Formats: sequence, structure tokens, C-alpha cells
Amino acid sequence: MIKIDELSVAFGETEVVKKVSLDLRDGEILGVVGESGSGKSVTALTLMGLVADTARVTSGRILFDDVVLREAGKSCDKALYRKYQGSEMSMVFQEPQTSLNPTQKVGRQVEEVLLLHTKLDREEIREKVLETFRAVGLQDAERVYASYPHQLSGGMRQRAMIAMAIILHPRLIVADEPTTALDVTIQNQIVELLRKINKEQNNAMLFITHDLHLARRICHRVAVMKDGCVVEIGTAEEVFDHPKEAYTKRLVEAVPSRVHGREGFRRTVGKPGVSGDPDDRERKAGDVENRERKTGEAGSQEAETGNAGNGETTGTARRPEPVLQVRDLSVYYQDGNQAIAEEDGKDREKKFSLRVLFRRNQRQYVVHHADFESWPGESLGLVGESGCGKTSLSKAILGMNHHIEGKIVHHSVRPQMVFQDPYSSLNPSKTIGWLLQEPLRAAGALDKSLAMTKADMETAAYDMLRRVGMEEQYFHRKPSELSGGQRQRVSIAQALITNPGFIVADEPVSALDVTIQAQIMELILKLQEEMRLACLFISHDINVVYRMCDRIMVMKEGQILEIGETEEVFSHPKADYTKLLLCNS
Amino acid sequence: MKKAKNGKWNKYLTAGVIMTGLALFLGVLGFFWTPYSTTAMSAAEKFAPPSLRHPFGTDNFGRDIFSRVMQGMGTSILISTLVVFFSGAAGILLGALTGYFGGLVDEVVMRITDALNGFPSILLTLVIISLLGTGMQNVIISLGLVFVPSFVRIVRSEFIRLRDADYIRRARMMGVGNFRILFIHILPNIFSVFWVSVMIGFNNAILAESGMSYLGIGVQPPDASLGKMLSDAQGYLQTAPWYALAPGLTIVWVVLGFSLFSEGIRRR
Repeated sequence: MIKIDELSVAFGETEVVKKVSLDLRDGEILGVVGESGSGKSVTALTLMGLVADTARVTSGRILFDDVVLREAGKSCDKALYRKYQGSEMSMVFQEPQTSLNPTQKVGRQVEEVLLLHTKLDREEIREKVLETFRAVGLQDAERVYASYPHQLSGGMRQRAMIAMAIILHPRLIVADEPTTALDVTIQNQIVELLRKINKEQNNAMLFITHDLHLARRICHRVAVMKDGCVVEIGTAEEVFDHPKEAYTKRLVEAVPSRVHGREGFRRTVGKPGVSGDPDDRERKAGDVENRERKTGEAGSQEAETGNAGNGETTGTARRPEPVLQVRDLSVYYQDGNQAIAEEDGKDREKKFSLRVLFRRNQRQYVVHHADFESWPGESLGLVGESGCGKTSLSKAILGMNHHIEGKIVHHSVRPQMVFQDPYSSLNPSKTIGWLLQEPLRAAGALDKSLAMTKADMETAAYDMLRRVGMEEQYFHRKPSELSGGQRQRVSIAQALITNPGFIVADEPVSALDVTIQAQIMELILKLQEEMRLACLFISHDINVVYRMCDRIMVMKEGQILEIGETEEVFSHPKADYTKLLLCNS
Repeated sequence: MKKAKNGKWNKYLTAGVIMTGLALFLGVLGFFWTPYSTTAMSAAEKFAPPSLRHPFGTDNFGRDIFSRVMQGMGTSILISTLVVFFSGAAGILLGALTGYFGGLVDEVVMRITDALNGFPSILLTLVIISLLGTGMQNVIISLGLVFVPSFVRIVRSEFIRLRDADYIRRARMMGVGNFRILFIHILPNIFSVFWVSVMIGFNNAILAESGMSYLGIGVQPPDASLGKMLSDAQGYLQTAPWYALAPGLTIVWVVLGFSLFSEGIRRR
């Protein structure tokens, strides 16, 4: 039905899509997977006629049934496309936040498609919109109809977007990363919805994603793209289970899956002193303590079970010095308090009498009674959906939020944080070398005993750069000259150069491509081993957590539902929510 | 001369550099040397039209207009530079403090700048001049004060934008001191925005200084100034149009040159 024939698209002189051939039949879901910059989005946009005018089609053509939509050398025929867009083919975008107009009610925006393409009257249109809303699982259709986008959750917005896309029963739906911006459980619902629509309406779907798990679950066939070329195409089973091309193999292996995670876990357990193994580490680090312990039972028990299981109790007994103890911690926000004044912990508002007069003393708790500790060399995973209090908890731990109740005891010096977005976590006006030395300078300024000479700091920075796997030449570069993965390496180096003993890693790999993701995860594991570093690893990707963490904490709505050894949580989840999380990924 | 990053010829920058360069050269030269004395009068050469001897002609006292324009331009550029320098520095300091810390300081400073913005700037300078008296340093002080609020606003909004950036949060976590964060971590990142406002501010300062001299509250005679020349030339527009044209076009030249220069830098 759709045929893309040797399509090449170029921006200026650079070809971003090279001789791509794809075909789609009715009722088929074709997945296009690839890393960022592989040309998958440009292909889809060209197919939809939405690509920027600066893009030229240099070879090939696009056929819809037998109609040539786009041909090499010709500019986009807007009039022809307009007949197809919306009615015959439609698109679901990645960001439900930005793809709906924030100043118009959702109902009106969906109506617009009908106004343009059908001759129905107002009442019929309204009925049809409500009906479609119900079909995409928006229960409270009337309310959604009269809501502005900001009044809806991300999942609801994406449902509304899908409603807009399917309302005219188009024969082709192009979904460009439709679930990437959503939480795991919502993600699952949206995928199921798309699958249901595909089954019921028998329309073809081009499903673009970087998530191979997702592609495998939903797609009939999969095309793997790299550098603008289709590297491999075949049924989902073929491509993922028996990849022919080296690149596909690499891609599939790089994906953190529970199978790979388990292997990785065992591997690390096998090595002495590696994260995840209190047994071995203890032998290395604290032989004396071992002998001093009154009972050897816990140790032998652990040796039998190969380290899994009741680590928390034995851990407490064996490792008397946690790097971090959080006792009955609640974090709250107070109305009207903001920014630096709050972070400095000074109540400046007392000076401003008018404000005090009008201040509402409402405390909104975002974290309730968190209670846990973190041990040296251990990765503690923190899993939960957005808005569950993960970030508030980590901020409180790092001392960036003083509105807390309970106790946080640090046994590490200046815990550091690795942020999610590698593009905003490095100061763009400084060189890498300067950035790496800054923590040392700061530490020196605060504590004269830690002050280092210029030459020493430089040596330390070069050393750290090497340890995160980067060459010396990058020392004098600026962040803008680095790729996302490299930036994240520098970011990690910057956090670790003062040897803080404890870091918070807030989704450190979720903004990266799969293969880079795997490299960064390896790096963190390696550094943890080298530096006996404790890490609070925040992630929404349960598979990444499985690969990285010794223990897992599951959070929901500010409550810690479950905390335990990774293996234990994964094989015997206690909370219902954990079960839900596990079966959804 | 200068190529843009994308390899295209940066016309704005080239034109701007040439025009500003010429104005700067003649203006600075005007402090030390002019073809004729700027005060030497000559009854014989009253209202001489432009010629090779007097490129811009002479005025009602027979003074060489070109020499006077050179001197006036130099004075204008000097005053504007100082004005922008002082108000820019004050703007950075206040903007950084208010934007980064917020709170009461922010409240107070911003209300004061609001109040300053509430008056027409020329009225405000008039008031300040009438309090301080005329003279070059008082022109600089009054214009400097009037220009501070716009710089504060720009710097403040940039500091607000960046104070919650991930890399600034990290710097705080490292224990970097507040002033180091303000002026070493954040400040370099706002220079591109700040630079543009400095350029615009400079142009505005040239225009404002000319306006003040025109009104007689700026540079005092016998020192030459472009604005004063314009107001003197008013009575002779029909008999000696070059008298008004020379300082007028010079102002346009300087301001246009600087606008092109800043635009060129922005597009680079």
C-alpha cells in the first residue's frame, strides 16, 4: 500500500537518508529502529510531507497505492499531500506536551480534522469526537473535550493525539516515538491501544522507536536504520533473535535486558570486590571485622545462596559504616517558597511582613517517611514513575532542599550528582580541563588542607579524563565539541574527581542512545569497583536498574513500597505496583 | 575581511567594522590633532561651502566644520563608552545579585528600576543635570544612571535563567562559593546576550548625548559637540545646509556603523 522506493533525502550537501526502501501493507506494523541521527524521523517526515522545505529528495519516490506522492527532483506537492494528510495518513508525535496547542481546548483541536475533511455538522462532529475519545480509552470524554492540554496528564494527551490521528480512520498511521516521553506503565497502555487500533481498523502503521523492546512487542516487521541506510529488514523475530548484520547484533546486545542483566550480575559477582558482592568485598576490606563477628552463620548462608537474599540484615551486621543513612525522612514543599532563599535554608520571608501576612502554611509532602541506607561500593536503585518523589528525595539527600523532616546522615564528603541531560550539565563556556579542576579548587577553597597546587590539579584532571575513557586531547576542548556520550563521561569524571564516596545518578543514561548507554553503564560499574563508590541510581528503566544495581528501592507517590536485593525484588516482588512495573517492561 | 561561520561573507560585520573603524580613528585623532583649530575664527571664510580646503565647509564664525565634527565625534564616543562602561558594570553587579539571590534585594532593586523606567529618560537626565550642573562628567553620570535599569533587567533575566541550570546546581553541590558561581560560572555564559545590549546601549548613549547637547545641557561651548552644532546650524539651514548636514550625517554614520557591527557580531 505504501511503497518507499530508494528514497534519498539531503539537507544541503549532506544526505541524511540514503536509498531507503520500505513497503507497508494494510494492517501491518512496521517498526523502524535506530539510534539518533540514523535518519528514521526524516524518512517518516518525508513520507508524511512534513519535512522542512530545505530538504531535497535526491533519488527515489514515495507511492501511496499507485499515486506518486513525492519524487526525486520535485518539490513537495502541498496540494496533493493535503488530500492525504489527516484523512488517509496521520501522525502521532513524541511530545504530547508540545504537539497540542496549549491555548485551545482539546476537543476543538480534534474537531478541526473533521471540519477540514468532512461535511458533518457541529453536533455530529462533537458526537464523533466523543466517541473516538472513548475508543482510545479516555473514560471521561466530556471533560477531556472541554479541557485545555495542560489540564490533562501526559498519557491522556497522547491518547487525545491518537484520537486526532485515527478519527478519520486513516489507512496509514505514522507514530514517531509515541511513548518515549511517557512513564512505563502509561507507555504500556499506549502501546496496547495502538495495537488494538491496528487490529480493529486494519490500518498500516509505521512505528518509529529507539526502544528495541517496544519494537519487538508491537511490530510485525522491523527495519534497522543506521546513518541513513536500512541495514536490515525482516520480521521482528528474525531481526532480534537472529540478526544478520553486525550492527544489529551490537544494537540488540547493547539493550539492557533482564537476560543480559543477569549475566552481567553474575559476572560481577564472580569478581572480588565488585559492586553487588558484600561477601567478597568484606573479605578483602574487612577481614578483621569478619573474625570479630560473633556468628558466622550469615556468611555461610550467603556463600550457599551465592549472595542473593537477605543482604540487608547481614549487610548491616557486616558493614558497620554506611555512607548514607536516611531515617524517617519526609520532604515537603511549602506554598510560596521558592528558589535560592529556600535552598540556603534561610527564611527570608520573615523580613517581608506583607508576605508573612498572606502566607499559607500549607505543607505538601512529596516524600513520606523514607528510611534506608547506602553502603560503600553499593548501587542502590531507585525506581518509580515521574512525580513519585524520586527527584525530591535525591535533592534532599544532596542538601539542595531544606524542607525536610527526619534525619539524613552522610559519612561521605560532598556527595555529587550526575544529571540526566548531558547537554545542560556542563558549563558551555569552560574547557573540559577547567571543569574537571573546578571541584578540586572548590574543595581547596573550603578546606585549606585539601588545597592542591595547579600542577597537581592538572595531573589529577588528566588522570580522571583517562579513567573515564577519554583521550588527553579533550582537555582543552569545550563541551559543545563533544558528543552526548562523551559529555556524560566528563560529567561523571567531574562528579568523581574529588572521590566523594557517594553519588546520586539521576537517570544518567536515559538521554543516550542504546550503544552509548551500554558503554556508560560499563563505565559506571568499572569506576564503582575502582573507587568503592556508593551510588543512588535513579531510573525509570527497570532493565537498566537491573543491570546496574545491587539493591532496589521502588517508590510510588512518595512512599517507598519495597526495598531489597535486586534479584529478590525481581523474582519475588512483594508490592503489587512492583509487579506491575516488572511485567510492563 | 571577516567570514561568517557558515563560510558566507558577513556583510554586516565588514560594513560595521569599516564604518566604526573610521569613526573611531577620526574621533580619537580629533583629541590630538585636527586640520584646523576648532576654535580659530575667520571672518573672511564665514559660511564657506564644502571645498578641498574645508571638506565640510565652515560655520557662522568661519570655523572649519570638519575639524569640529572630528572633535565632537570623539567627545560623543568617549562619553558613550564611559556611560556604557559604568552602567554596564552596575547592571552586571545588580542584575547578578538580584537575579541569582532573588528575595528582598531583588524586590527593592527592581522597584527602584521600575521607578526609573517610569520617567522619560530625557526628563530624568534634565533633572539630574539641573541638580549637578552641566559639564562632561555630569553628562556621564546622568546618562549612566538612566541606562542602568535596562542593563539590570537583561542581566537579571539571564541569571534567573541560568541559576537553575544543571551545571550551576553541580557547582553549588561542589561547594563553589556564591561569588565565584556568579562571576566565573554564570557570567561568561551571558556575554553573548549582554554584548548585544551593550551595543544597543552605546548607540542610545550617542543619541542621548547628542540630544542633551542639542538642548544645551550637554557639552558646553567652546568644546565642539555634534548636538550643539546641530542646534547652532538650525538658523542657517537655508543659507548653509552643510552646517547642519555634517554633524547630522556624522551621527547617522556612527550609529549605523555600530548597529551594523553589533548585528554582524550577533550573526557570526
